Amino acid sequence: MKTLYTPEMAVIKKVIPQTPLETFFELELTERKTLGHKPGQFVEVSIFGLGEAPISVSSAPEPDKPTFELCVRKVGNVTNALLEKKVGDKIGIRGPFGNGFDIAKFKGKDILFIAGGIGLVPLRSLILAVLNRRPDYGRINVLYGCKTPRDLLFKGELKSWECGGSVECLITVDLGDESWQGDVGVITTLIPRVEIDEKKTQAVIVGPPVMYRFVIRELKSRRLPDANIWMSLERKMKCGVGKCGHCQMNDIYVCQDGPVFNYAELKKIPESI
Amino acid sequence: MKQFIIKKPKLFELIDKLARETTVIAPVKQENFTSFAPITSAAEIVWGAPQTVIPPKQFLYPQSEDLLAYEFGNGEARITGLNAVKERVLFGVHPCDLNAIGQMDRIWAEKNPDANYLEKRKAITLVGVDCLAPCSSDAICLRLNGLDPKGRFDLFLTDIGSAFYAEAATKKGEALVEGLRAPAKAADGKRLTAVQKKRTALFDKQEKKLLPKYKDLSKLMKANIDHPVWEERGKLCYGCGSCNMVCPTCYCFDVQDYMHVSLVKGVRSRVWDGCMTEEFAKVASGENFREDRSHRLRHRTYRKLNYLYDKWGESFCTGCGRCVKACLTKIVSPLEIANEIYSRKI
Repeated sequence: MKTLYTPEMAVIKKVIPQTPLETFFELELTERKTLGHKPGQFVEVSIFGLGEAPISVSSAPEPDKPTFELCVRKVGNVTNALLEKKVGDKIGIRGPFGNGFDIAKFKGKDILFIAGGIGLVPLRSLILAVLNRRPDYGRINVLYGCKTPRDLLFKGELKSWECGGSVECLITVDLGDESWQGDVGVITTLIPRVEIDEKKTQAVIVGPPVMYRFVIRELKSRRLPDANIWMSLERKMKCGVGKCGHCQMNDIYVCQDGPVFNYAELKKIPESI
Repeated sequence: MKQFIIKKPKLFELIDKLARETTVIAPVKQENFTSFAPITSAAEIVWGAPQTVIPPKQFLYPQSEDLLAYEFGNGEARITGLNAVKERVLFGVHPCDLNAIGQMDRIWAEKNPDANYLEKRKAITLVGVDCLAPCSSDAICLRLNGLDPKGRFDLFLTDIGSAFYAEAATKKGEALVEGLRAPAKAADGKRLTAVQKKRTALFDKQEKKLLPKYKDLSKLMKANIDHPVWEERGKLCYGCGSCNMVCPTCYCFDVQDYMHVSLVKGVRSRVWDGCMTEEFAKVASGENFREDRSHRLRHRTYRKLNYLYDKWGESFCTGCGRCVKACLTKIVSPLEIANEIYSRKI
């Protein structure tokens, strides 16, 4: 009997270490053509014998592409074991889960992506989807903050987006090293440097829980309306199907009704940020 | 709903027969407490008090339940089948628990139907028995709309003296007592009404009063998210999760993998989890999204009296009183919390 909790098998096609902590995986489902996800959705990755962990999908939805991508930080039992896996190994996958970003809402708008640390992983899915249809959007800025230069993800890609001239990226680290020539400071220090059109700009924020309030305050000081602020929240998504209760904030199941929220709605949820 | 009269000896004979032929689960005495367990004869059944420590939901949604089984071969895992669900009779369920099961039926079936629950539910014949006196001083069922079973059973029995007055809400309930039932007459209906009236008066006298109106509970909660009661009671909470474990409408779970000692096979199980425990909303990075005990107490109470109340139109505390008894520091009673908020306006 196949149930809500039965994973499908997926083969690992590529493994690319990104940082000392994070590794990039390309996966292909064995029984389905594509994952069929939206940007901002997540999957439950299953290591048999250990359990499951919720991981954001990092690739853009492309109907003809059989593979999808994850970028995983080793932080618990499941992710530690996942990072031991090699090309050709199989793992379990359930999903995609969650609402994801409604990309249609960004059409014709300027988009300000704000990523903190591993928050770039889910955001990359949306950034790539937007870049796939670049003419549909206005100005695109990416603000990205990390602890140290060693923690920067998708370094090559950030450069290629910028070099293409289609995106402006600003990167900052909390703590530089001898070779770091760029900005040092928290992510909010980058916000005054971007142009914000309160009618046109849509800000999309993904980062650690502590980041949201500070970033939103900064955006509000630039008069950006609540409805133009989007974010994806982290919670303990255990079942992914709105049953197990772990991801709940007030009466909202983040795994079903989130993880993507608009700030105008989020303001009504006291346990959200 | 069809009404019948069943003579007591006939019913006991039926239970004996069912216990021989299939699995009958009923409240039985175990040392100094009562629990639901398979019986071999009707003589083992504990009627009325005391309430079982663990609610009968355990037979629909077990404390630990395998979601999948797998084997390893050639370096990869292969998902294997689980055991089929067996037909069972769940007998002697109190109205509070019938309501809770009715509520769980809605929860597990909505949006993403949970086959693990629904298959077991389908294979259960649910026989309720009415309470003629409060099962303990902790019971608050009359106050929280849990004493009227609202048709959430296959068969429901009320002891009217020499016989049981039986109501069948389903064909399954009717079929169970086929051959030993007689149609209820007007006089039987009168006896039932008299028994129920006396019973309700007794509950009303003995149960703690609910000060706000039942229909206002959800609004009252919503308006008092910052009431000092959460902090005052929350700071006494041990975070043990006992209230969650004994609750007939708590349904949160954790998922865990267990490898067989041979290391060639394993199972993935779901086990009951409790939102009152410290770990509940903590993620691998160490971030805890509901770290404060007072917020956890508020979350649990809101689930019962606000979130699910608003969604489904009824309190998801059915007043069984188990959490009131189980709570080590006596802080968790939804009725007491509601009363305190009601009497101490902020």
